[in-house]
Amino acid sequence: MPVMATLLLSALIGWLAVNFVKGPAYFITISFIGLTNGAVYALVALGYTLVYGILELINFAHGDVFMLGGMFSATMILSVFNLSVSSSTGYLVLAIIVSLFVAMAACGIINATIERVAYRPLRGAPRLAPLITAIGMSFILEDIAIGWKGPGYTAVPEVLPHGHVFSFDGVVYTWEKLIVVVITIPVLIALLWLVQRTRQGKAMRATAQDRDAAAMMGINVDRTISFTFLIAGGLAGAGGLVYALYFGQIRFDTGFQLGLIAFTAAVLGGIGNLPGAVLGALCIGFIQAFNEGLTWHAPGPNWTESIVFSILILILVFRPEGLLGERTPEGT
Amino acid sequence: MAEPLLVTRSLRKEFGGLVAVDGVDFTVPEGSIVSLIGPNGAGKTTFFNMLTGVYKPTAGRVSFAGEDLTGKPPHAFTQRGIGRTFQNIRLFQNMTALENVLVGMHVRLKGNLFEAIIRTPRVRHEERDARARARELIEYSGLRGRADIIGRNLSYGDQRRLEVARALATDPKLLLLDEPTAGMNPQETAEFTEFVAKLRSERGLAVLMIEHDMRVVMGVSDRVTVLDYGEKIAEGEPLEIQKNERVIEAYLGKAALA
Amino acid sequence: MRRRIATQVSAGWWAALGSVGLTRERWLTLSPARRRAVKEVVWVGIGLVLIAAFGVWQTSALAIAAVVLLIVVPPYKKFKVGRFPVGKWVVPAAALAIVIAYPYYLNSMPQVPIFGPFPMISTVVAMMIFSMMALGLNFVVGYAGLLDLGYVAFYAMGAYVAGWFASDQFSAQHLDLGAVGLQPGWIGFHFSIWLVLPMAGIATALIGVIIGLPTLRLRGDYLAIVTLGFGEIMPQVANNGNSLFGFNVTNGPEGITPIDGPGFGQWAHKHLHLPASYLTVGNYDSVFLWTTLVLILITIFCSMRLRDSRLGRAWIAIREDEIAAAAMGIPLMRTKTWAYATGAFFGGVAGAWYASYKSGAFPTDFFFQISVFILCMVILGGMGNIWGVIFGACFLTYLDREGLANVGAWMNGHLGTNVNVPLYEFGIYGAIIVIVMLFRPEGLIPSSRRSAELHEGVHDTPLYDIEAM
Repeated sequence: MPVMATLLLSALIGWLAVNFVKGPAYFITISFIGLTNGAVYALVALGYTLVYGILELINFAHGDVFMLGGMFSATMILSVFNLSVSSSTGYLVLAIIVSLFVAMAACGIINATIERVAYRPLRGAPRLAPLITAIGMSFILEDIAIGWKGPGYTAVPEVLPHGHVFSFDGVVYTWEKLIVVVITIPVLIALLWLVQRTRQGKAMRATAQDRDAAAMMGINVDRTISFTFLIAGGLAGAGGLVYALYFGQIRFDTGFQLGLIAFTAAVLGGIGNLPGAVLGALCIGFIQAFNEGLTWHAPGPNWTESIVFSILILILVFRPEGLLGERTPEGT
Repeated sequence: MAEPLLVTRSLRKEFGGLVAVDGVDFTVPEGSIVSLIGPNGAGKTTFFNMLTGVYKPTAGRVSFAGEDLTGKPPHAFTQRGIGRTFQNIRLFQNMTALENVLVGMHVRLKGNLFEAIIRTPRVRHEERDARARARELIEYSGLRGRADIIGRNLSYGDQRRLEVARALATDPKLLLLDEPTAGMNPQETAEFTEFVAKLRSERGLAVLMIEHDMRVVMGVSDRVTVLDYGEKIAEGEPLEIQKNERVIEAYLGKAALA
Repeated sequence: MRRRIATQVSAGWWAALGSVGLTRERWLTLSPARRRAVKEVVWVGIGLVLIAAFGVWQTSALAIAAVVLLIVVPPYKKFKVGRFPVGKWVVPAAALAIVIAYPYYLNSMPQVPIFGPFPMISTVVAMMIFSMMALGLNFVVGYAGLLDLGYVAFYAMGAYVAGWFASDQFSAQHLDLGAVGLQPGWIGFHFSIWLVLPMAGIATALIGVIIGLPTLRLRGDYLAIVTLGFGEIMPQVANNGNSLFGFNVTNGPEGITPIDGPGFGQWAHKHLHLPASYLTVGNYDSVFLWTTLVLILITIFCSMRLRDSRLGRAWIAIREDEIAAAAMGIPLMRTKTWAYATGAFFGGVAGAWYASYKSGAFPTDFFFQISVFILCMVILGGMGNIWGVIFGACFLTYLDREGLANVGAWMNGHLGTNVNVPLYEFGIYGAIIVIVMLFRPEGLIPSSRRSAELHEGVHDTPLYDIEAM
């Protein structure tokens, strides 16, 4: 098995190298796209991994919460702030910050409510029951979006500046990409601070490790789990805002596709592992960008999904703990 | 002397940094009754799990009836003739007693998918005989009249008996019992001790028990093996073990020897 | 909380009855025959009230009521002729007769309030085809307890097998094995549909085994995601399949169409009065209805036989407690693979048959929603219960094809709303899943065993995680 993996990896690196040699500036530009995509995926992947770490539940509806975050953001940008290309920078920044808070809060509350209503009653049931319920929840959220914004694409005007941050030798880095990273990084830092330095964060980590022991130490497990869902929802909301701003359009089923890709990222990095989710997201972001952007023998955008899901399947079958995870057995 | 039925050589199991079982050499002669005792956490159930394929040993070998079974999946052990019960009862709670025992017979029946659909005469006979045998086993294990009761509705003692009946259905040569008398009152314990002796005398089974109840251990064992912290610290006839200093120390601490 | 609601409802019900003199204790003292008689009278009363209330005082409605009561009420089971228990076949035979005769009396059926007219024959054909698929999924999810989120892949693969071997797809070939209704100048493989059906089933079963080999040892939620992954890869392959390394395998987004229809050929037509080619028969939908009925009866037969067999017991044992099952000598991987392959087989046959019916195989057949659609049928009907699953399949297929549109029209007409109900179809199915899982996870018509499992719990630890240590 390690032999196969090394072979595959070498082939991959070789392919990347050839593409780089054929057009270095283009390669780097594509890499920046990958980085930006990875940032969006990271926000969503972290939500999956937080919830899985604490409940061992794959929250199928998480991608749709992200989509609702995008919808909220679109509403804020369009109807509340009336942003357009001609809005002043100060107004833009204000609008983004407020929209960020609104999206994160709304999605956090939605996520925590879903947990309370649909998952908590099933905590004693066979493990597959909440998973099935999550699938049902996902469809409900999608149709709520249809009811709210219709079945077509909701367009968000291009309010982010597209000028060059820098450009040399054919390599271009534009502003909207930087803004995505600028929005994402503080959120990640806040998350890190929350998990490592606060009492709630410690409660989250304890409950994720051993729920019964945590309960015996006086941790309110129900409240901790609700809190985790709140945070995960907040991350999804942030991801929704960034997606709306960067990609410019959202539809009711955007969350499903992206959710699965983000979940693959979380699994790739090691499900339950926070830095792993970020690492996995960056990897998937790069893989997608390379696949869709590079020109020498790239399968192309028609095959992105298949590639990503093949990665998912391969990881789950051959190395379910992912890149950074530990093999944690169940034990009787 | 005949080759022992079950042989382990330097059997070892690690969980991450923790060594649960450390280099245990162990045999069970054919038709004998052996008890495995030791303080809680000594690694007895872990050892059992290695003897039935539920855990893969980190090192060492397990062989049964001359065949090396190390690393094989659990159903291979059962096929070769090792049956077991569990420390925390693992019946199929929502099946009747009869169905539980029929599942135990899975490995001795032969009907496959296609025969099941067509219901060849052979399969029909096989099912009929299986049900008759299952009812016999249920009666033999002291559960007469309760064959059609759902597992979870049986009393605790009956559930334990059903687990044994189910294990017997696999037609084993060696029966592993994990704390079979836990939670039983003295009368039930005495009955069970007789039952174990009967298994050996009437069916020629070898029995390996994890037990905490010394009346059972002393009452029916040919040999007693003692584990502590994953190591074998003593082995011999029941009366010898009772007086063994290391054993007493393991159970009661150094102060007890003073 | 749900149990509290249920007990409160039950208590309220008996309190109300008690106030008119019929307490629970008195009820239980009546003999079973008396109780049955009382229940029957109540049902007749309810039926008459419903008919009167909705003003559907038509001959057809009364006829329906009479037929239903005739089937449900008398205790046929006790009826014997000599030694043979003829009685127990009365209800199934009557049900069968009702379905077979459907095309003949459909036009004289009344309208049902809210839901509108009775389903068209083509809808009934679809209902039965999806019942077959749901029964196939039932082997995997209902019997063995494996959550398969990619079941649609089997159905779509079956469709494409039909597309490959009963159409002009492989234009370089020229082979006719019993096909009917071929036009002059045909190309490609044209096998008889009766040959294509088992081929599709076996092909999909083999694919199921291949997919299952690396994945069935995973624990439940990982298995679900992996099957979902396969289910997402397939449609991309189908969509891009018009230039796979230079070959046109799947004809891309357009799909493979037309696909041959079934038929029995000229000889059977002359001597047995069977249709030579379904496409040229006057009542296309009706003949498909009758043939599909045969297919579903075969599926039901296999389901029942397997459920009560050694393999069926092994599946249920695995579902309840994998570790104990393994300790009893059940080879986990092999047994799970049999469940998966069996489910795949019926999915593939259903898919091929459906492709022949609608004369096409398309990448849109592969949508994930369809997997959830079929899963919803199994959950709603009752995981593991054959009749529940069939009910769930028929009901949801009816909703999908006609029911939602009819309900929407009624709602918009009577309540003044302006809601496009079919647009929210999958939200409705999602809501059904959530409500069923929260309040009645064993489904509407459960197997009693499953009901106990879901409310009391099972030993859920998968063996894979233990062996992995």
